[in-house]
Amino acid sequence: MRNKAYLLAVIPFVMLAGMFEILPVLATIIKSFLPEGGGVGLTLEHYISIFTKPLYVSAVKNSLLISAASAAIGLVVAFAAGKAACERGGRVKKVFMSILNMVSNFSGVPLAFSFIILFGNAGVITILGQKLGIKLLAEFPLYTTWGLMLTYIYFQIPLATLLLIPAFDSIRKEWREAVSIMGGTDRTFWRKVGIPVLLPSLLGTFSTLFANAISAYATAYALLMNNYSILPIRIAEQFKGDIVQRPEFGSALAVILILIMVFSMTVTQHVAKMTGGTAS
Amino acid sequence: MTTKKKTGAGIVITAVVIYLMIPLVFTFLYSLFREWMDILPSSFTLRAYGEIFTDMVFWLSVGRTLIISVVPIGICMTIVLLAMYVIVVYHPEWDKYMKILCTMPYSIQGVILPICVLALYADAPEPFSNRIFMLTSTYCIVVLPYIYQGVRNNLNGMNVKGMLEAAQMLGAGKFYSFFHIIVPNIMNGIVISSMLAMAIVFGDFVVINMLAGNYFPTAQMYVYEIMKKSSQKTCAIIMVLFAVTLLISMFVFLRGADDKKEEKNG
Repeated sequence: MRNKAYLLAVIPFVMLAGMFEILPVLATIIKSFLPEGGGVGLTLEHYISIFTKPLYVSAVKNSLLISAASAAIGLVVAFAAGKAACERGGRVKKVFMSILNMVSNFSGVPLAFSFIILFGNAGVITILGQKLGIKLLAEFPLYTTWGLMLTYIYFQIPLATLLLIPAFDSIRKEWREAVSIMGGTDRTFWRKVGIPVLLPSLLGTFSTLFANAISAYATAYALLMNNYSILPIRIAEQFKGDIVQRPEFGSALAVILILIMVFSMTVTQHVAKMTGGTAS
Repeated sequence: MTTKKKTGAGIVITAVVIYLMIPLVFTFLYSLFREWMDILPSSFTLRAYGEIFTDMVFWLSVGRTLIISVVPIGICMTIVLLAMYVIVVYHPEWDKYMKILCTMPYSIQGVILPICVLALYADAPEPFSNRIFMLTSTYCIVVLPYIYQGVRNNLNGMNVKGMLEAAQMLGAGKFYSFFHIIVPNIMNGIVISSMLAMAIVFGDFVVINMLAGNYFPTAQMYVYEIMKKSSQKTCAIIMVLFAVTLLISMFVFLRGADDKKEEKNG
């Protein structure tokens, strides 16, 4: 049986994934159908109350809105930035990438805090806006959807750009030359070759950004505490925090969040496959 | 490439860099001045830095952060490479399953994974209910997609089959060929994906807050605690953490550059 010994190498992976990925998720799904307080039987009551109580309906709505909008804006900026980085190439690209990597680390609590000192009630930009009479800066609504959106866009941009740069790298010079030899302009190149080639990466990046935003917890928690209703905050408070802990109900909320993410990723993959088919 | 285009690209890069640097720069300035009630700050001071540098609690939390962002990535990378060895050499058809398992953490990222782990193992026997064990394993799963993607993309970009065959013809064993020929060739990808993974764990708040905030207070937890007390001190800590990250990135970056040079020379 010596020739099967190689299978040992795969065991650590199977154990890790099984015990800390599959099993916890399965347990959560099962738990979401259990009645509260350790009763016997299965129930849908948690799901019903999520979709009937305004507190939780608004959490789902806010989460979807902020995630989709911040992902879209992040992607547009990243497209321009990634394209620019690959056009410049060389040292500029290297420095730019290291800045992106550095900034991508600036998220969560530090990010929220730095936006508080910029746009908060006694924030630097708020004061600047007051002194210079710029109302938008003086009264920027940080502790609302807009403020949260701004912080989310901030952390989407470096991540999106870092994800897109390899895709831009894969665009070969020869393709551009071929397009220009046949009389195509730069715009023709992007319309007919560049964007179709990049489309799977763009869609993949969008879904990564969307998932990244919809599951984000730290930034919102540090910025707004529990005063703003988004899914991750509502989920976390069922397991930890000041209010009464309701793990079964929290599990149901978590399942909703998982479903949203799985849905968004499945759609993206499907679209990517379809466009990949027509492009070839 | 035309100069005009290069200038355009330069402007875009500059604009993005400025936007991304504003919060950082202001946080840095804020940490250096006692008051900022006008357009310009006043009363320059390094007091906040002095306070945190003499605070043992701070240093311990930084140490914990470093340990917890290096160990799980090392473990995860080893596990992924071992599994990848089996897949590349023996069972290429298993890759689709590995891919599913490795991309799944994307859909359970953020708050979901730590909550699922906590709910399942909080009351389990040792070592599962050990918070550090839970934390390490959860971070392994958190970084799994980035590690897998980095390794996979690099493997796709080279002729693995041909290289393995050539190595075996020259008498190298399969395990030896994979870890001494294929892996060094994808070292750059390994370094870069580890770097991305490290940045993620280093900045993590949700997993640590959910699983082990009180047992293993990392630098992020420390920031959160100080945040409620002093703005200036918080800014100073944020900047110090940032500098530490910068050092790690630079180190890794330089190593990456060295690898490339060696490739060129060899």
